[in-house]
This record gives sequence, structure tokens and C-alpha cells, in this order.
Amino acid sequence: MKIGLEIHVQLPTKTKMFCSCPTEGEDRPNSRVCPTCLGLPGSKPSLNRKAVELGLTIAKVLGCTIPEQTWFSRKTYFYPDLCKHFQTTQYDMPIGERGVYKLGNKDIRITRVHLEEDPGKTKRVGDNTALVDYNRSGIPLVEIVTEPDISSPAEARQFLAELLVTIRNAIDLPADGDRSVRCDCNISVGKERCEVKNVTGLKNVENCLKYEAVRQTKTLKAGGKIERETRRFDEERKVTLPARKKEYEADYGYIGEPDLGIYNIGEIAASIKIRESPIEMATRFTTQYGLDSGKAKQIVTTSLELAALFEELVKATDVKTAITWTTGAITANWKTFDVSKKDELISIVKELFNGSIKDTECSIRVKALMTGKSADELSSAAGDLEEVINGLIDANLHVVDDYRKNPKAANMIIGMAMKQTGGAYSSSDIVEAVTRMIETRL
Amino acid sequence: MTDLKRINDIYEMYTSFTDAEPNGKFTFSAKDNLTSIDFESCAGSKILSGYRPPFDATPIKKMREAGGFLQGKTNMDEFGFGTFSANSGFGIPKNPYDLNRSCGGSSGGAACAAAVLEDHVALGVSTGGSIVCPASFCGVYGIAPSYGRVSRYGLIDYANSLDKVGVLSAKAADLGKYLRIIAGKDEHDPTSCVQPDMPEKDRAMKSVAVPKEAIEGISDKVMTHFEASLESLRSMGIDVEYVDMPVLKYAMPAYYVIAASEASTNLARFCGMRYGQQDGDLSLGFDAYFTSFRSKYFGDEAKRRILLGTFTRMVGYADRYYNKALRVRESIIQEYKKVFTNCDAVVTPTMPFISPRFDEIANMSALDVYKADFLTIPPNLTGMPHMSVPCGYSDGMPVGLMFTSDHWNEDVLLSAAVEWEKGFEMKRPEVKA
Ligand SMILES: [Zn+2]
Repeated sequence: MKIGLEIHVQLPTKTKMFCSCPTEGEDRPNSRVCPTCLGLPGSKPSLNRKAVELGLTIAKVLGCTIPEQTWFSRKTYFYPDLCKHFQTTQYDMPIGERGVYKLGNKDIRITRVHLEEDPGKTKRVGDNTALVDYNRSGIPLVEIVTEPDISSPAEARQFLAELLVTIRNAIDLPADGDRSVRCDCNISVGKERCEVKNVTGLKNVENCLKYEAVRQTKTLKAGGKIERETRRFDEERKVTLPARKKEYEADYGYIGEPDLGIYNIGEIAASIKIRESPIEMATRFTTQYGLDSGKAKQIVTTSLELAALFEELVKATDVKTAITWTTGAITANWKTFDVSKKDELISIVKELFNGSIKDTECSIRVKALMTGKSADELSSAAGDLEEVINGLIDANLHVVDDYRKNPKAANMIIGMAMKQTGGAYSSSDIVEAVTRMIETRL
Repeated sequence: MTDLKRINDIYEMYTSFTDAEPNGKFTFSAKDNLTSIDFESCAGSKILSGYRPPFDATPIKKMREAGGFLQGKTNMDEFGFGTFSANSGFGIPKNPYDLNRSCGGSSGGAACAAAVLEDHVALGVSTGGSIVCPASFCGVYGIAPSYGRVSRYGLIDYANSLDKVGVLSAKAADLGKYLRIIAGKDEHDPTSCVQPDMPEKDRAMKSVAVPKEAIEGISDKVMTHFEASLESLRSMGIDVEYVDMPVLKYAMPAYYVIAASEASTNLARFCGMRYGQQDGDLSLGFDAYFTSFRSKYFGDEAKRRILLGTFTRMVGYADRYYNKALRVRESIIQEYKKVFTNCDAVVTPTMPFISPRFDEIANMSALDVYKADFLTIPPNLTGMPHMSVPCGYSDGMPVGLMFTSDHWNEDVLLSAAVEWEKGFEMKRPEVKA
């Protein structure tokens, strides 16, 4: 099975791509519009530099080749929400080409990255009426096109999820960016491919691809033929249907956008510095510190601040101590933690590392600092809990050996401790204490 | 009825105007493809009937800021598609020297207003010769500046990479005076932002070149006055030499391919949905609605250019036509630049014949009409400033002389116009009213 995606992501600029209308604010239809984004006769576009910078950052993060010069093109088609009846997009000179995205050990090749404007939104009201809202008209989008290197619907979803984390980290995309992700999904199980246009969100992409894969396989098995066609996804019924109208690139009659001219982007691209993506960071944590890949991913996806704290702990103590405390007590209490107190947190763990305090005391002080609860209260509760756990480990000493081979062995003690204490402690507290206490016996 | 109404009834230079007493430092008109808040802006097309833009085009805004009184919007070929202003959806402007003849086009109404109205300056627009052609037929001065000299913000596009806003007037000095008002960078039109400033003092024109290729196929009536004009130039102390510019013959096909390609995308937005005429059958699906509407309200020439342009943009043809035309444009620019290393301007007749009668125009094929622009297209295709000055009268009809200078060298043309006027006896038309 071959899957290729065309991914559209809204770029987080304050103003639209070719005019100064705000991209966010009032939701009343057609309240954030001007002659340019309404395509009124005589209006002209002027390019938002920020959109170019954000697009270039993404192209760079994806390892694309970036040309010295770029320009825009007119893609002509008739649709009511496209106010000029041509979309200002990029065709023969995109801002990036031939990139690659590392999905685990697999390479997903990136064909191209280009900038374009979003059309307005059509809302159907009744059978014969539709309303158009041009507030979205002219919002900058980046389109990322992959080669057909994805081999399953689940992999497509995973790729999209990780790609979004990468992009969010690279350009500070707001968290609700996921919802506004739209994909054109190309899939073939045999020779000919179908394209499902305009699928919104990760879950829908996976569902639509699953449906298409089954449909195409069944068709071929029954001796049928897959026609190359454009389809759409019905989110309610989770099925794909033939699109009303066939579209081919040839019909768009691209020409260069003469109102905008040619932009020299080489220098801008060179001056853009890219941050390490969370995915890259997780991979580095695994190779550099021997951190289990699941745990590494958990740290970077919990928070980049947690990831930074982990690396500070490695410097202040050692790798083993940093891993134990970051994945244990610190992750467990992260939600209530005021990050500005991180130096205090590091100094507590450092005291343990220097031998001036013991595990239990360290655990209580960390929890107290992170949750704001009183240390005395925590201390008596923890004392009781640790006593229970110690008893359980003593009675099941094989668990310590088993844990060396597979950390899941701790689950047995965790389960017994939960039962015995009958809901007196939070599960995260129990998990943290059991893991810590088994690890001290290793 | 006011005088202005009476005059307009005869000449039809305005599509909309006010007969209120002008209250500015000067009175001006604007071609109807420049948007203005207080008048309809239809660009000569029925499809835009009733359209009231919410903003002033930058050149109009600048004229108002300088104290100008906008009297009206001048008639034109639909979207600028034509040479005789006969393709307008709102009547045809009449030549001030002979009502049975054309004003030229596409800024025909602008040239007519400049010829007929006293102390009047007209803003015109040129894509392939639409300022100098009517200036020549109506016996006035007209300049189309370098591409990018005047902001196109508010200009209803014909071909974005060719369109230029310029000035027409019966007085040579007006060209420089008002071009300086409307010129300059405008953040709303990025293509205006690369221009160098105009020099404060116009440089004198010292030498001109006549391309041999450009004086073939000129009518005898025009040729007589052209040769006399070259004598006048020599007597003004300007060197005249003949040069070969063989690539000029490729300008026409390249121009029509580029202009039609761009125009066909610009016209896509007109569909009776958001502005202008909106009286289509709403029970139709949007595709059928757009089609019915465009069939009904676009004129024949607009339809022809949409078809031509859509064809030349198609995959498989773009390389043979559109992309090749862009390369031809480059080579013609180089040819001009070579000539400008030795002289200040290229000079030719503006039009190959005097203004034709409407019955003659009716018998011309589309191709005959396109060919009439063979002298005005090269400077337009290259984006170079060019100007027509009146240089004589044949059978009572004006003949025009065209100067082209290098990019951004409008000042050389402006000084030449003022010098020319000193030695030329202009015969203003007798205005019937
Ligand atoms: Zn806007």
C-alpha cells in the first residue's frame, strides 16, 4: 500500500498573507475582510514577510533544498469561496523541495513545501442556498507534499502527529493547530491511485485511508478496476465518495503572479535558525543517555520544559539519578509544578546525589515542592505507603530480578499495593514509589 | 441642460460625471478602470454596471490630495480590450475633429476629454498603446510612464505586468506636472516600490533613433508628417539616426499571448456574485450561473481574449506560447537597451494611419485591429516610458509622433514635449455644444 499526503497547515501570523486584515478576532462572518482579501476589482496583494519566514522555517526543518529566488502563481478555478477565482499559490518555484522526514528509522521523503492563501468558507443552508464567509480568505497556509512513502493508515496518522509536533516546536504553532490541519490523501493498493481531498484532522485522515484501503482491495479482489479519481470523505458515515467534479492540474492554467514579482529568499533562509524538534530530542535522549525510547518520548511530549529540566539534572547529578527522578516523581507531579522553582527542585535531587539525604526524604521534599502540600503530611503518608511496598517486595523478591529484564514486572507490586491501600494514595504516587523502591534494590 | 451635459451627449467621453461647478485647484478625469468612491467604476464593461468601489485608486487619491476635482470617469474599451473605444458597454466616444471617426483606444474618452474640455487633465491607462493611440487620434499630448512608476492600486487589471497609469492633456507641461503628482512608491502595489525617484529637473533630449522596421507599412498621410517631424527635431538641435531593430516584429505575438493570458485570469472573478450586475437566475447551480452571467454581460472582444488566454495557459501550450512570450519580451528589452547606449529616445509615428471612420472600423477583422497597434506595442511590452505629441493634421485629422525612452527616463520625454510645443501650432477642435 502506498500513501502520500498533501498537508495544509495554517501559519500563525497576526495578519493575512496579502493584506493587513487580522487572522484572528471577531468571528462574525465577513468582518475581517478588505478589498484585497475580497478580491474586489483594482485591489492588489502585498506579501506578508512573516508568512515567508515561517514557511522557510518549516522547509528548513524538513531538510528541503531552498532556492535563491521564489515567486507565486495563479491557480485558476471557479468556486464561490475563491473570491478572485484564482488562488495565489506556488507552482514552479516553491520555497522548498526534496526534503526528508525521519519517522523512527524510516524516511518519509518530502516532495515540496510551498506557500498559498486559504479560500473563504462555504456554509450550506438548505438545499439550494449557501453562504460564504471570507474571514478565512487570504490566511497563509503552508502545504507540505510527501512522496508515497507511507505504508499504512496508522503510519499516516503517526507521521502527521509527529510532523505536527515538529512544526509546532519550530514555529510556535498554537496547540489547536491540529484541528485546522487539512490533508489531501493519495492512496493506492494496486497500480492506480485515488485522491481524497480536504480531510480535516488526524483521526479523519486515518479513517478515510482505512476505508479507501478496504474499498480498493475489495474492488480489485472482485475483479474490478480502480479508476484514477478525486474523492471526498464523509465524516459522519466514515466513507469516501466520488467528488462531484474531476480536477486535473492541467485545468488550472498556472501563470506567474505578476502583481508580486520575484523574491530573493536565499539570505532570509540562511539567517533562520531552527530549533531541535521534540522528536529529534527524544531520539537524542535515547542514544545519548540510554533512555528507553517510550520514556524519552513521554518526557518531550509532556513538556519541553520537563525535557530541559532533565538535561539540567543530568549535569547536576548523573544520568541514572536524572532518569529515575525525571520519569518518576517529577513527571508524576508535573501538572501542579510551578516551573520557576526548578532550581530548588534540582538542589533537592543534588542533596540526594551527594548523600546528604535519603530517597524517602528526597521524594517527600520533591512532592511537597511540586504540589505545595505540607511535607509532614506527605511524610507520614509516604512512610505508611513505603512500609506496605517494602513488605510486598520482601514477599515477592523475584520481581526485582524480573524488573531487570522487563520494567513491566513492577506492575504486579503496583497492583497489590493499590489493593492493599484501598484508594488512600493516588495511582501516580504508588507507581512512583514502587518503581523507585525496586530500582534501589537492583 | 448644462454645457457639460450637452458636450457629453455629443462626444460621449464620460460614462459617469458630475456637472457640479468644479471646486478644486484643477479639474481632472479618470479612465473608468480606475476605482473611485464617488462614481461607478465599470471599466467599460456591462458586467460591472452599478459597481461603486469602496476605495479610491492611488493615482486618483493623489490627484485629490493635490487639490484636484474629479469630474468624471472616461469611456473606454471594455477592460482596455481595443484600439478604437468601440468595444465599450456604454456607448462610443466620438473624435473631436470628426464625429464619424474614432477617438482611438482604449483610453478614448480620456483623450477626447483632454481635447474638448478647457484646462483639463485626463488620467489614462496603457497596456499595449492605450494612451498614445487616442492621444494621437485626438491631437493631444499623452505619456505612459515606465511600468511601476505609478501605483496600480485601484486599477481594474487588464494585464498586470503591462498596465501603466499615465497622463493626457492638450498642454505639454501638464504631462510632467501631473505625472510627478501620481508617481511614486505605494506599499499597496509592490511593483511600484522598486522605482528610482524622478529627477527634479528634466534632462534635455539630444538624439533620437528611428528603427527602419517601424516605418514600413505606414500610410502616406502619416509618413509625410513623420518625415517633416524629423526635420523639426533636427532643427531643434536633436540628432536623428536610423537603426535596425529586427526583433521588434516579434513584439506583437508576444504581447497578445502575455496580455491575453493575464487578462483571462483577471476576468475570472467577474461572475455576478459579489459586485456589479447580479440579476442572474439564482435557481441555477453556481457553475451554470457564472456561465450564463459571463455569456450575457461580457462583450465579444472580452470573450475572445478569455478564450485566447485560457488556451495559452494550458499545460502543453504554456511553454510554446506564454513562457516563450516572456523570453521574447526579454530579448526586445535588450534590443532597446542597445539602442539607448547611443541615443536618448526611439521615435516613430504613433499610429500607422489617421483615425478611421466607424464604418471602416466595422469592416476590420480582429486581426486587422490587433495589427494597428504594431508601433505602440513594443514600448508597452518592454515597460518603457513612451509619449505621443501632435505633429500635424492630415485631412483635418491629427497625426501623432511617438517617443520611447529607457526605463525611468520619463524626464527626457517630458522636456522634449515642452520644447516641441514651442514650435508646433496646435489646432484645437471646434467644440460643438
Ligand atoms: Zn484583507
